[in-house]
Amino acid sequence: MRAYQDMVFSTALRLTANPAQAEDISQEVFLRAYESFDNLRSSPKAGGWLKTVATNLTLNHLTRHRKRWRLFSEVFSEDTREEELESATAIFDTVLTELETDERSALIGKALERLPDHQRIPLVLYHYEEMPYQDIADRLGISLAKVKTDILRGRVAMAALLTPSGFGAPDGRRRSPTPTPGAQP
Amino acid sequence: MSSRDQFDEKLERLVGQALQEQPLRRAPASLEARVLGEIAARARLPWWRRGIASWPAAVRVPVIAGCAVCVPLVWIASVWLATRLVSVATHPGNSGPLASMRDTGRAIASLETLATHIVQSIPREWLLGGLIATATLYAALFALVALGYSLLYPRTEYSKAQPT
Repeated sequence: MRAYQDMVFSTALRLTANPAQAEDISQEVFLRAYESFDNLRSSPKAGGWLKTVATNLTLNHLTRHRKRWRLFSEVFSEDTREEELESATAIFDTVLTELETDERSALIGKALERLPDHQRIPLVLYHYEEMPYQDIADRLGISLAKVKTDILRGRVAMAALLTPSGFGAPDGRRRSPTPTPGAQP
Repeated sequence: MSSRDQFDEKLERLVGQALQEQPLRRAPASLEARVLGEIAARARLPWWRRGIASWPAAVRVPVIAGCAVCVPLVWIASVWLATRLVSVATHPGNSGPLASMRDTGRAIASLETLATHIVQSIPREWLLGGLIATATLYAALFALVALGYSLLYPRTEYSKAQPT
């Protein structure tokens, strides 16, 4: 259990952005693993099994608590402008090249947690679980177009959160990742 | 490829890179104790308070077989008992305590006859339509309750689930 608990907890936490819920889900994952202990004990796929169960249990939990954005957000979704994409790209470029690893990890982790559910969940499924757009749409019960829009807008929103103004006043130690529009590496 | 597509593609790559290099979050120290405590608590439960899947096979198989046999037996016994009761209660030779049941028995028998006549006089299509309408209304009521639950209940959970 010790070998996998960080992985299981992180999987649940990335999707829920709530440590208490992630701990509850992790507990349930390990209880299920205990019930299947005879099969898992010698299996080289135990890690994959735990990750899959953690993802599924978290998605089940989130689906049970689905929110009204699913009913309305498709109607009001806006197209992302090219300038927003350009700016977001430049911000990520700056963050990845100029900040130290620890500082960058903390900043990105915090930005991911602050994304709204409808952007964070498909974003995590796409980038961490490497699920195709269509699979995400099927799993979340939303349209393919909405998945693509939410992921794109999630990336742009994350970039906005990475700027000093994104988390309020900077602490003074952090170098500003604010890019100049159009800046290219 | 348009410049928009280029930005889109580059942004996807950069976000993927940024997220993939994120380290795992350390699980709370309490997690292991919680899991072990729950396993111990479940192990302390007597077998009959656990899920039927974990019952001993020597108990599980007879219980399932018994349940399967009980359903038709209870149905047959109920019909037989009702028929016998009506028959005894309506018997003209009954006296004493059974005599007071006679009128009730006759009334029940009359109602049964009336219900049978009414059902037989209704066209089969109407009965079928009524059954379909009832099922539809039941499904609509279920859907309405489910919709209300999904719209109203999560609102309170949502506020709790928000990251601080």
